[in-house]
Amino acid sequence: MILKKIKSSLITAAATSMLLVPSTTVLADDYPSAPIQVAVAYGPGGATDFQARIVTMMAGKEKYLNMPMVIFNKPGAGGQKGWNWYASDASKDGHQLAAYNVPHFIAQSLKFDTSYNTGNLEPIANWGADPAVLIVPADSPFNSATDLVAWSKANPGKLTVSGAGLYVGHHIASLQLDKAADISTKYIPAGGGVAAMKMVLGSQVMAGFNNLSDAFRQGDRIKILAVADNQREQGFLPDVPTFKEQGIEIDDSSVNFRGIMARKGTPPEVIEFLAERVHLMFQDAKVAGKMKAGGSPMRIMTRAEVQQMWVERQAYLTELLSDL
Amino acid sequence: MEILDYIGAIFSLSNLTVLFFATAAGLILGALPGLSPTMAVALLIPFTFQMDAATGLVLLGAVYTATVAGGAISGILVNIPGAPANIATVLDGHPMAKQGKATQALHFCFISSFVGGIIGVLVLIFFTPPLAQLALKFGPSEMFWMAIVGVTVIGTLGSKSVIKGLFSGALGLWISTIGISPIFGESRFVFTDHLTGGVHIVVALIGLFAVPQIYQLLVTSRQDSSGGLFAMESSPLWSSIKYNLSRVKALTIGTISGVVVGIIPGAGGQIAGLVAYDQVRKFSPDASKFGNGEPDGVIAAESANNAMVGPSLVPLLTLGIPGSPTAAVLLGGLLINGLFPGPDLFTVHAEVTWTFIGSLLLAQVFMIIIGLALSRSSSYWVMRVPSQYMAAAVTVLAVFGTYSIQNSYSDVVLMLVLGSLMYLLNKYGFSAAPIVLGIILGPIAEDNFSMGKMIADVGDGALAYFLTGSINLVLIFVCVVSIGYSVWVEVKQRRQVAQDQKRSAPGTRVAAVGAVVAAAVVMTMVMSADDSQAYDFPFLLAILMATFAVMLLIDVLRMWKREKSGPGLVEWSDLGAGIVIIVAYLLLLQSAGFYLASWLAFTAIVVFYSGTKNRAQLTRILWVSIGFMVVIYGLFNLSLRVVTPGLL
Repeated sequence: MILKKIKSSLITAAATSMLLVPSTTVLADDYPSAPIQVAVAYGPGGATDFQARIVTMMAGKEKYLNMPMVIFNKPGAGGQKGWNWYASDASKDGHQLAAYNVPHFIAQSLKFDTSYNTGNLEPIANWGADPAVLIVPADSPFNSATDLVAWSKANPGKLTVSGAGLYVGHHIASLQLDKAADISTKYIPAGGGVAAMKMVLGSQVMAGFNNLSDAFRQGDRIKILAVADNQREQGFLPDVPTFKEQGIEIDDSSVNFRGIMARKGTPPEVIEFLAERVHLMFQDAKVAGKMKAGGSPMRIMTRAEVQQMWVERQAYLTELLSDL
Repeated sequence: MEILDYIGAIFSLSNLTVLFFATAAGLILGALPGLSPTMAVALLIPFTFQMDAATGLVLLGAVYTATVAGGAISGILVNIPGAPANIATVLDGHPMAKQGKATQALHFCFISSFVGGIIGVLVLIFFTPPLAQLALKFGPSEMFWMAIVGVTVIGTLGSKSVIKGLFSGALGLWISTIGISPIFGESRFVFTDHLTGGVHIVVALIGLFAVPQIYQLLVTSRQDSSGGLFAMESSPLWSSIKYNLSRVKALTIGTISGVVVGIIPGAGGQIAGLVAYDQVRKFSPDASKFGNGEPDGVIAAESANNAMVGPSLVPLLTLGIPGSPTAAVLLGGLLINGLFPGPDLFTVHAEVTWTFIGSLLLAQVFMIIIGLALSRSSSYWVMRVPSQYMAAAVTVLAVFGTYSIQNSYSDVVLMLVLGSLMYLLNKYGFSAAPIVLGIILGPIAEDNFSMGKMIADVGDGALAYFLTGSINLVLIFVCVVSIGYSVWVEVKQRRQVAQDQKRSAPGTRVAAVGAVVAAAVVMTMVMSADDSQAYDFPFLLAILMATFAVMLLIDVLRMWKREKSGPGLVEWSDLGAGIVIIVAYLLLLQSAGFYLASWLAFTAIVVFYSGTKNRAQLTRILWVSIGFMVVIYGLFNLSLRVVTPGLL
């Protein structure tokens, strides 16, 4: 008897649960009704993962999202694996979001057969900007970007430059350097930023592009020759000149912008709610404190600002990568 | 001894409390398949936001070292390594458990982990600066050879035949190339959507070890009226300690292998246990004892994977370059607390750093005490669980463990498919360990080969780049010695068997033909793919697979008529119901929700594979299944925040 009762009640429960499985037409009033998952396309411990964990830690507060954000990692192939999954399989009700890295995902969508592009993703807000910097080992003969360019001109094709992978910010910066200084360097894509940094520290390559925050933490074990941005980084590296200051025309196109995005098709009310609250959440004093302690530069941007930035990057990268 | 200045902080009550709970939690998390040390540490980082820097790091460090040891528990008792680091432990640990020596095997595991762990941390304390310099000398060419040294270990792992082992290893290396190439960004061998993300190492680990075990348990529950219970020998702790400490050679080899592998950034520590296992086997006068419950195998493997923990922190603490995936996650924990790796750690933040290192030392003490205390009772309870309950529990745990790695249903499908194939492969004499090792080493070998080749192209050429340099030469020497030794042993063994008594084991013909077909399929896929650099490495692997397959075939052809006849290798009649339930489970997972589907699958397996079916027994099964699902819910949903599709 008991058995039968339990069985029948379980069947009822199963039937109701099937009806209740979250559908795409969730009312925005109830949003968020469950913890919000945020997919990170890089492995745990990497800069994107670690910053995403900090900037989402206050999500549970009532004035922000009133629900915790849970980070989960889908690393592989420079982010392609995670973003492919996100753009094709994630839910569109605002309970599954993802972290983006510009210019990475835009450049990859232009060069590879990916399921994602700027057209099927919706930016929510931007939390950080990490410029690429040109670094060399501490005992390198190069003391400026001009030294390095001069050597490369005398030895065409011989200068090895490491970076985190193909079509990530570091690769874009290295392509820009080749173009602006009219040299040809040999770009070595490593399996990630840490692996690329290690090759510079161990002098396995002559130079490298890496994240400003990671390079800053290496202190005097490396020399930072130039920042690939429009202005110097005043917070962490006020003494390092930009490429432009050294006469090499490289703008901020390789700067690694990090933020949160949703899938296209997410209800507009949900996107608006997220755009407002997530932008506020990034400004929390606790978040700022932890980010500063971790040596991670913040650049908070609204949804509208990010939308414009995506359009600009898309246009520039289409042109830069068309020659390849 | 700067560390002595901070002894007060290390032994503070709050620190000891954190250590105790972190160690206990780490041991349990480590024992669950799917929850690798990397995941456990990543999951805990948010909790450290609320703590002061030292406490947070102590928590992460203690969990790191305890999960590495905890993975051996499920490995020894159920034949499923909790993490890649524990694969080598299983090779002799589980046979020991089957012989009734489960408690003893666990004793050896924790005692050896303690010895290795303590020495590893001492290496960290005393030799950090010189070792950091050594770590940096490992560039692409050195890392490539390091991976090849790992590959040479493959032939000796678990397989009865060296050629089958090598074929399995090549197959594993090829599996690692499925998905998007990490260096070139191209998709390779993706013939179904489930493979777009490639085969995650932990998914393969669970599938290749847990699923064959499920089938094995189902067969046992049908054929063995005792329910597959193993006899239990009582083993006093004191005699375990005495025996363990007398195995100086195994402990030394294990610890040295662990320390060396730990320092090299990127080698991952996942192979420390396997390298140590291979070495101790080669140095042993009677290599044939390994794989059949030789305590030295457990001792070497476990001392190695815990000895790896301390040294893997050397490049992390000094240079910010993590020596293992788990150390990479710890780096995040350091940075959040404003601790930048480098000399500052030992000067400005000396108190936090030394408290952390001292606590790691103390964590080893907690680990051995809690571990040994759990040994007797856990082996007593686990070994008494009837096979059909164990099979049902492992099925559900494998599904949840796999899903929680990256919230992917495709991973669950892959895990079950790979595992079912592995069950067949097992029957035909191939084993899981070399395949998993191939999957681990594949990306290390391929990425570093590609990067090295690019660097060499603008320098002195590939030959000069890969074949000069003192570390390269040492590693090449190790490879040659290792391969030479394996060949010599194989030849010696074959001579010992008189020619006329030679008969191949049942299934050898099928195995050889199957290997040839598999190699041909891979070769066809490689040849029909676009002409691109991304296929250079897979092409090399296809050639290797074909070579080994042909060698197997030649071996078989010589004795075609002399195969021993035996009963059918696969017990389809016993497995039928189980396979149907597992397939139905897979189909129900997404539509009915994880918890409901799992409960149904658990109940169905136990009901179908329990002998009698009276009402009292059914009621008991019902309560056990509900209780089990409540535990699963508490663990995965409430503690680990794994969000599964569907509400139930």
